[in-house]
Amino acid sequence: MAKAASGRSHRLRKTESIDLLPVMNLFCCIIPFLLLSASFLQITVITMAQTEGIGSAGAGAVANLARSEEDRLQPKVIMTDEEMFIGTVAGTAHVCYAVSQVVNGEEVITFDFDSLRTRAAEVHRLLSEAYPQIEFHKVTILTVERTRYDNIISAIDACAEAGFDQPGLQVAPSAAVRNATNAAMGR
Amino acid sequence: MSAPTKRHLPLLLGHNKSKAFVRNKGRKVEVQMTSMIDMFTILVVFLLMSYSADGQIVTISDALTLPKSKSDTPVDLKLEIQINNQVVVVDGDPIVQVTPQLLATGNSIPELVTRLRDHMEYTRRLRGTIEEEDMKINIQGDVAIPAILLQRVMSSCSEAGFATQNLEVIKHEGRAEA
Repeated sequence: MAKAASGRSHRLRKTESIDLLPVMNLFCCIIPFLLLSASFLQITVITMAQTEGIGSAGAGAVANLARSEEDRLQPKVIMTDEEMFIGTVAGTAHVCYAVSQVVNGEEVITFDFDSLRTRAAEVHRLLSEAYPQIEFHKVTILTVERTRYDNIISAIDACAEAGFDQPGLQVAPSAAVRNATNAAMGR
Repeated sequence: MSAPTKRHLPLLLGHNKSKAFVRNKGRKVEVQMTSMIDMFTILVVFLLMSYSADGQIVTISDALTLPKSKSDTPVDLKLEIQINNQVVVVDGDPIVQVTPQLLATGNSIPELVTRLRDHMEYTRRLRGTIEEEDMKINIQGDVAIPAILLQRVMSSCSEAGFATQNLEVIKHEGRAEA
């Protein structure tokens, strides 16, 4: 029989397919192994500076912090039930008011930590410009007794982003903190 | 009448099978696995990204909800204190019940200091010396605990000789939640 005019064979070519079964077997072995070793929640830590006991006077422990120049100049983030302040030796500034939020049916107090981040960055810049020989890392979170732990961690996070990555915690009675901040703010 | 030929015998077995089935009976059936391989590839890539060679060295109690943070300091296996609004637990042992009286005052908690000192003494006897690594402690606190409880626990740790206190948090990508 004569060839077609095109010169090509008209016989149908069989398409070659790769055998995917070994790949499938490999995946079936790998996936359970990876599922067992996968960690979906990564636990990290925040290293705290040593905490100090607070007496009934509250503000007394703040004076004990002045061990070095950095200690003396380190800012304090003050959280009360009503508002948040940031204080340095140069003065105390209002950051934000507390807002009430319902979490899991429970009313909790929280703050605007973006404002704290902005203020803390500003404080860090001013301190670094005024004292270029000192590297500022320390910050004290001064709270009243009832402040929730997640608020403390959020404040530590905001300060760390601003450059204050060595936090310490102090807790003082509400009345003492309120009196001290009112006096600092000239109220 | 002659016996019926094989051709005229009724097909009792498989008489209800379709013509297409009968026609393709001799052919090899192949499962199309390309789409499944695609899916598995995506799954493997995702799992490889979440893969941890260290494994999960810290166990979190069901009674705790750890706060989220952007801290990326990895956790080391140390003595663990777990705190929630009911109890303070050291290394699995409940030490102090959280009562209104406990939250009314400041400074260290005597029972907790005693327990931590015992642990420190045990470590000293076991190793003959106390190194800096032995003075580290991990604290797992529930998001809802008040600051005074955390401060009392941290004061107790300091008093017992645990100079470095690490607060365990869940790593949170992106911006911190308010």
